[in-house]
Amino acid sequence: MWHLLHVTIHLCYFAINIANALESHLISKGLLRRYKSLHISKLQYLAIVIESEDCRTSNVIELLQWLADLGVKHVCLYDMEGILKKSKDFILEKFDGATLFQENDVLLDQPLMTLEFASFSDGKEAVAKAANVLFMKYLKSGSTSSYQGEQIFTESQMGEALKTVGGNGPEPDLLLVYGPARCHLGFPAWRIRYTEIQHMGPLKSMKYGSLIKAIYKFTMVQQNYGK
Amino acid sequence: MLSLRFAIPTANTLTPPKIKPKPGLVVQTAWNQTDLFPSLPKRNDNKLQAATTDLSVAGDIPAEEVVELPAELSRELMPKHVAVIMDGNGRWARQRGLATSAGHEAGVKALRELVELCCQWGIQVLTVFAFSYENWIRPKVEVDFLMSLFERALKSEVESFSRGGIRISVIGDSTKLPTSLQKLINEVEETTKHNSRLQLIVAVSYSGKYDVVQACRSIAEKAKDGQIQLDDINESLIEQELETNCTEHPYPDLLIRTSGELRVSNFLLWQLAYTELFFAQELWPDFRKDEFVDALSSYQQRQRRYGGRH
Repeated sequence: MWHLLHVTIHLCYFAINIANALESHLISKGLLRRYKSLHISKLQYLAIVIESEDCRTSNVIELLQWLADLGVKHVCLYDMEGILKKSKDFILEKFDGATLFQENDVLLDQPLMTLEFASFSDGKEAVAKAANVLFMKYLKSGSTSSYQGEQIFTESQMGEALKTVGGNGPEPDLLLVYGPARCHLGFPAWRIRYTEIQHMGPLKSMKYGSLIKAIYKFTMVQQNYGK
Repeated sequence: MLSLRFAIPTANTLTPPKIKPKPGLVVQTAWNQTDLFPSLPKRNDNKLQAATTDLSVAGDIPAEEVVELPAELSRELMPKHVAVIMDGNGRWARQRGLATSAGHEAGVKALRELVELCCQWGIQVLTVFAFSYENWIRPKVEVDFLMSLFERALKSEVESFSRGGIRISVIGDSTKLPTSLQKLINEVEETTKHNSRLQLIVAVSYSGKYDVVQACRSIAEKAKDGQIQLDDINESLIEQELETNCTEHPYPDLLIRTSGELRVSNFLLWQLAYTELFFAQELWPDFRKDEFVDALSSYQQRQRRYGGRH
C-alpha cells in the first residue's frame, strides 16, 4: 500500500515536471500570448539568491544574459558564503553587459545593467555594525534617558547607519531563489520587507520560460502595504 | 501556480524516499471546546455589521484521546516552530458578500482549528501574524472591531488555553493597543506562562524592523547600565533581545502565508533566514486541516533531502 502511494506521488510529480517544462518551453518561444509583453519597468530591483553549492558561474552568466535580454537593469546576486562575491571580477569580465553597483547609485534607467554582490555578512553582521554606530551616537549624546534612546534607535536612523557601514542597498521588488530549499538563506533582512519572493528550483535546472513567468507574475501583483 | 502547493520536484523525488512516513500517534491532553465568543451586538456601520454565527461546540474531548497523524506526515520530521501570516479575511468576506467583520470571525475559527492541530501533532510553537504595525492605517471602524475581537477572543479562550496546556505570548508594540487589551494580555500571559503543550505567539502591532530596533535600544540601555560591554555587541546579542526571546525556539522552521501573496510583509524579518517558505493560495478562513497537511508535507519532503543543512 505504501509503495502504491509512493509510486502515485512520484507519478504526480513527474507529470507536474513535464507540464512545467512544456509551459516553460512555450513561454520561451513566445507562443503563450500573455507572456509576450512584460511591463519590465515595474521591476526596479531584482535580487537573485543562489544556494552556495550551486554557484556555477556559467549558469550565473547565462542567467544574467537572460535578464539583460528582458531589460532588467539592476540586479543583486546573493549567496550565503560569498562565492559570487569572490567571483565578482570573473563574472563582470565574462558578462559584458554590466557594471558594479555603487552604494549611492540611484536606480535610473541606463544602458548597462548594474550588479551588486552580497553575502551573509551583508545581512545580520551589517545590522550589528550599524547598531554599534547607533550605540556610539547614544553614548556620545551625553544624555542616556529613554527619550534619547527612542530618538536615536528608530528605523530611519538604523537605515542611515546601515548606509555608513555599507549594508543598505535598495529593497528588491522581487527575489528569485535558485536552490533546493524555498528559503532566502539570510538575504539582508532589512531590505526584504515587501519583497515578492519566488522559488525557482535548482540553478542547474533553470529555464528561460520559468524566469519570464516569474517576472510576469510579479508585474501583475498589487500590494496594499497593510491597508 | 502548482509550485505553491507542491514541493518543487527535482531528480531526487523520482526515487522512493528512504524513510517511510509512518503515522504517528499523539496523545491529546484535555481540551474543552467552548464558545469562541458570544453573538456580537448589532452595529450601525453596515460595512462592519457582525454576523451572528453560532460557534458553540457540544461536549469535551476526552483527556487521553489518541490522535493519528495523516498518512503523508511523519512525526519525527514535524517542524518545532510554525509561523503563519493569516492573510485574506477581508477578501474572503467580499467574495461571499459579507461584512469584513465576518471574514475576521471566520479567521478566528480557522486559527482555533490550527491551534488544535498543532497541539495534536506535536508542534511546539505557533506564531501568528494577527495585526501588523502597518495595519493601523486601516479604517478606524475596522481597527476598533479587530481590537475588540482580540479582546473577546482572549477572554473567552483563556480558560480553555489553561486546560489545554497552551501558553500565550503576545509580541509587538503594545503601546498603541487599548489599555483594556494591554491589561488583558498581561493577565493572560501571566495565567498561562507555565503551560508547555504549545506556545501560541500572537504578533499584534508587530513590525520586523521595529523588533530589530527595539532590540538594539534594549542593548543600549543595558550597556548604559554597565550590564554589557560595547565590544560584546554582536548578532547573537541582538537575537537575544528580539521579541521572540519569549520562546526557546525563536526561529520558525516553516512560514505559511495564505491568500497567494508571496512576501513576508515585515514579519519576523531577522528570524526567517533559514525558514522554509510556503505560500498557499487559499484565503485564511479557508486554510484548514487539508491545507495545513499540504504545507507540512511540503516542509517534510525538503527535510528528508536536506535535513543536514542546519
